[in-house]
Amino acid sequence: MGASLSISSLFGKLFGSKEVRILMLGLDAAGKTTILYKLKLNQTMTTIPTVGFNVETFTYKNIKFNMWDVGGQDKIRPLWRHYYSGTQGLVFVVDSSDHNRIEEAKTELHRILNDLEMSDCLLLVFANKQDLDGAMDPQTITTRLELSKLKDRPWFVQPAIATEGEGLTEGFGWLSDNIKKMPKYGGK
Amino acid sequence: MASSHPPPAFLSRTSSAAGYANGAGLQHRRSLSTIPPSRPPRSPQPLTGMTPEMDRTSDPSFKGKTPSTGTGASSQHSSLSASAQPRFDAAARRPRKPRSQYPRGSTENHVEYILVASFDIDRGPVMEHQYPVAITGDEHMLAELMLPDQAHVRNQDWTIFFLHKDTSQEEDDAERQAKEERRARRNRKRDRARGIIHESDDEDEEGDLDDDDDWDDDGSTDSEPEGIEGPPLVYVLNLVNTKQDKTVKRGAVVKAMAICTRHPFLHIYKPLLLLALEEYFKAPVPETLAMLYDAVNEMDLSLMPKLSWLERHLLQSSENKDLFVEKFEQMIEARISGTSGGDVDRPLDASEPPPPRPNILRSGSRAHIEGHAGYVVPRDTHEFESKVMYKGIPIPVKVPVAVMPEIVGDFSLIKLIQNFSDSHSKSPQSFPLHPHLTTNGPNTHPIIVLINALLTQKRVIFLGHNMPSGEVAEAVLAACALASGGILRGFTRYAFPYTDLTKVDDLLRVPGFIAGVTNPTFELHPEWWDLLCDLPSGKMKISSKIESAPITEGLVYFQQQNPAYANLVHNSSSSGSSSNDVTGDAAFMADILRSITTRAGERVVRAKWRAWVLKFTRIAAAFEESVYGASALYIGHDEQEATFTGAQGHGYVWVDEATKAKELAGNVTRIEGWRNTRSYYSFIQDIAQLSTIRPLRGLDLAHLHDRLRTQRLTPMQSKEIYDALAKHVRSYDEICLLLSVAPEAQAGLFYVALGLFHKDRDVRFRTADLLERVAEHEAGQHWWRMLSRFEKLAYVRIKKEAEAEVRARLEKEEREGFGGGGEVDKRVS
Repeated sequence: MGASLSISSLFGKLFGSKEVRILMLGLDAAGKTTILYKLKLNQTMTTIPTVGFNVETFTYKNIKFNMWDVGGQDKIRPLWRHYYSGTQGLVFVVDSSDHNRIEEAKTELHRILNDLEMSDCLLLVFANKQDLDGAMDPQTITTRLELSKLKDRPWFVQPAIATEGEGLTEGFGWLSDNIKKMPKYGGK
Repeated sequence: MASSHPPPAFLSRTSSAAGYANGAGLQHRRSLSTIPPSRPPRSPQPLTGMTPEMDRTSDPSFKGKTPSTGTGASSQHSSLSASAQPRFDAAARRPRKPRSQYPRGSTENHVEYILVASFDIDRGPVMEHQYPVAITGDEHMLAELMLPDQAHVRNQDWTIFFLHKDTSQEEDDAERQAKEERRARRNRKRDRARGIIHESDDEDEEGDLDDDDDWDDDGSTDSEPEGIEGPPLVYVLNLVNTKQDKTVKRGAVVKAMAICTRHPFLHIYKPLLLLALEEYFKAPVPETLAMLYDAVNEMDLSLMPKLSWLERHLLQSSENKDLFVEKFEQMIEARISGTSGGDVDRPLDASEPPPPRPNILRSGSRAHIEGHAGYVVPRDTHEFESKVMYKGIPIPVKVPVAVMPEIVGDFSLIKLIQNFSDSHSKSPQSFPLHPHLTTNGPNTHPIIVLINALLTQKRVIFLGHNMPSGEVAEAVLAACALASGGILRGFTRYAFPYTDLTKVDDLLRVPGFIAGVTNPTFELHPEWWDLLCDLPSGKMKISSKIESAPITEGLVYFQQQNPAYANLVHNSSSSGSSSNDVTGDAAFMADILRSITTRAGERVVRAKWRAWVLKFTRIAAAFEESVYGASALYIGHDEQEATFTGAQGHGYVWVDEATKAKELAGNVTRIEGWRNTRSYYSFIQDIAQLSTIRPLRGLDLAHLHDRLRTQRLTPMQSKEIYDALAKHVRSYDEICLLLSVAPEAQAGLFYVALGLFHKDRDVRFRTADLLERVAEHEAGQHWWRMLSRFEKLAYVRIKKEAEAEVRARLEKEEREGFGGGGEVDKRVS
C-alpha cells in the first residue's frame, strides 16, 4: 500500500496536477454559482440562490482546481471565515452594474483579505455582468475596491460576462500562471 | 413524599417474607417436591389440595394468563421453605394491570410546535411562522437549521435536530405541583381503599378521583431512570422543499416546515409533513400550521399499553410479534367495559365471571380486513397502529411500543455498519494508533473505532457531502443507538444529527459530540473533530490533532497486578491481526457481518449490539473491582448477597482466570477512557436507581445464568445455581428478569432447562417447577415454546414422575391412616 501511495504522489509532481483550493466569494447575486458551473460544465445554468455552498473540481492548464462557492447573503457572510484555511486563491465576484453595493463589496473584500489565514493567497476579481447597462469598467472597479492598498499580494481584475463565459478563461489563465510561481506549489 | 408511598406488591416481597417465614415454620410441610404454584394460599393445614391442581399444572401446554385464584404460595421442598412465599405473591405473579402510555385526557401534546422557515434571497434563512406560539430561543438559529446546506440542489430534503429547551421556571413548578397533587390524591385513594383513611377525611377530593390514575406512572417505582440530564429534548423533524418558479425573483422558492415533539418516534410524522408543506406552498398562512398541529395532536394512542422497564427490554430484544399481546387485549377490554382508569388496585378475581369477550381482532386478520373490527390488536406488538386524520384523509402511523433511551427516530444499524464495513473488508484501513480507539491495533474495525470513540466521548463527525442531510442525520441517530444499546445514555443529548458551519462555534464548546454535516469544509478542519466518518467513501479518519490518551492510575495498577498480561494492553506493536483478537471484537464484528449477510434483520443486529454494550459495562465493572477494589457499576453485593443462599457471586463470567486477564487487558484503555465520561456517570446513576426498582436485588441472575452457559460446573455447583433460580424466581417481575438474561437470540432458556437433566432428582423437580412458572408467565410462554422438544419431553416425564410420587405417598399415608388423607379424597372427588 505504501508503494502505491508514493508512486501516485510522484506522478503528481511530474505532471503538476496538484490540487489547488480556490474560494469564490462575493455579495449575493453577483454570479458566483454561474461562474462555477460555466467553468465546470461549460454550460450556462439558471442558478438559484445558494443555500450554504457549492463545491466542484475541474482541471485547467494542468492544474486541478477545487473550487468553493459560498452563499453571499449578508447574514451568512460570517461563515466565510470557515472556508479560509488552506485556500490558495480567492476569486471575488462583483456585480459591475450594482453601483449601490460596490462600497459594501469593498468592505467585505478587505475584511476577508485581512484575515491571517488568507495572507498568502492570490486575488482574482471578476468584474462581472459587463453586458449590463452602466457596468463599471475594470479600472473603476479597481479604484472603488481600493485594490491599490494591497501590498505584497498579487491581484488581478478581469472583466467578465459569466453567462457568456467571457473573461473566465483569461481570469483562470492569470490564476494558473501565478499559482505556479507560488513557493508552496509543487513544493514539499 | 416517596416514603409515604406504599410499595407495590412485588417490592414488598423481601420484608413480608420474614413475617411469613415464622408461620411457615409452624406449618412444616412434608417433603413434597412439587406443589403446583397455583395453590390457594389460605389453607393453613399441610398437605391439602394438591391433587386437583396437579392435573392442571402437569399439563405443560397450560399457559396464558395466570389463573386468578391464588397463584402464589407454592411450597417448595421443605429445606427451601424457610423463606417461602409471602402471601402477596399471588398478586405479584400477575403483571400489573396495563396502563396507557399516552392516556386520553393527558395535557401533554404529541407535538408542541410547528414551524415554517424560508430562504430569503436577500437575507438568507428567516422564520416565517410558528404555531401555536413562538418557540423560545434563537429563532434565526432555528431557521438556519431548517434550511440545510445545499437545499438548493435538491427538490426535497429531511433533517433532524434536537433542541435543548429548558422548561421555564414557572412551567417546571406548575408541572411538579400538578404531579405531586396527583400522587397525593392517588395515595389517599389507595389508603382509603385499604381502609386506612376514613372516607370523610378528604371529601373535597371526591370530585376528581376518577381521572387521576392514568396520568403518570405507578409512582416513581417503575419508571425507568429519568437520569440526571435535565428536561427531555425537543426533537425536530424538518422537511425542506425547493420549488423552481420562473415568476419569482431569482427563480426559486425554498421553504421548510418542522414538527417539534418530545416523543422520540418523530419519523411517524413524515407523511404528514409532506402533505402539510405542500399545502403551505399553496396557503402560506398560520392556519395551515394550525391544521397540522390539531391533526397530529388528535392522534389517539390511548390504547397503547405502558410497559415496565423489564418488559420493554424483553420486547425490544425479542423477534416475537405476539409478545405482550395480552396487554393490548386488556387495554381494549378495559375500554369496552368502560373501566379504564378505575379499579387500579383491585385484583382480578376469578370468582367474578370474566367479562364477555368483546370483538377484538388482530390487525391484518381476515375479519379485520373485511371490516368487522371495532378494536384492533396490532399485527406486531412492537408497533402500535393508529392514524392521523389530515384534511379528512386517514394517515396510518405506527408508533414503537417499547421506547428505549437514546433510540430516536427511524434509522438502521445495519446500514451504518455496512457503510463502514464494505470498504474496510475490501482494503483494510490502517489507523494511526490511539489507545482509546484502536483497541485491536491499526486494523481495528472502523465500527469498533467508532464505538470506542463514542464510549470515550470523542468528537465524532459524520460527513455526507452531496448526500441528503436526512441520511447524515440517520447515521448520527444510528451511532447514538449503537453506543447506547438502550443501556447507556448521554449520546443523543450531545448529538447534532444535522448541523452546519453556522453552529460550529457552539458545537466546539461541547466536549464530545456526535454531529452530522454535509459540508466537506469540516474535513479540512481536523482541529474540530477527533473522528471523521465519511459516509460516501465509507472511510474513517482519526484526527491528526486528537488529544493523546493520558496514562491513568487504573492502567498502571492493572499492569502491576498482571505483569504477565501487561504487554497485551493496547497492543500497539502488534500487527493487529485477527489471530491476536484480545478484545474479541474482531470475532464479534465477523459475527455481526454474518448476521447481516444472512439477512437476520435489524432487530437481531440491535440485540447483538445491546449485548456487546452490556458486556462492556460488565467487563468494566469487573475491571474496576479488580483494579480499584470496588465498582459503582454493580450494586448489590455485600450483605444482600448473603440473603440469597447458594447464589453468591456476581458480574461477568469468564471460563477461567487467564481468559479474564486477557480480556481485561484488551479493554483497559477504553475502560479507562470511558471512566470520565457523561455516559459513565449517568450509567452509575441509572444503576443506582434501577437497583431500587429491580426485583431480586443482590442476586445477579445474569451471573448465575452465564455460569451455567459458559463454565464447566461440578454437579454440586450447578445444583446451587439451579436451586437458587428455582427458589428465587417466582413473581412476575422476577420471571421477566430471568427472561431478560436469557434472551431468545441467545439460546433462550436452554441452559436453565438443562436443570431437567441434573443428576440430582430434587434439582430436576425444582427446575420443572420453575419452567412451569415460566410457561404460565405472559412473556415466559414464548420462551417456553422455544425450548427444544428434547427438553419439553424431559419436563413432561419429570412432571409425571413427581405426580406419581405424590400419589404413591398419599396412598401410603391413607393406608397408614394418616390424618388428612380422607380430606384430600373428598377434595379430589
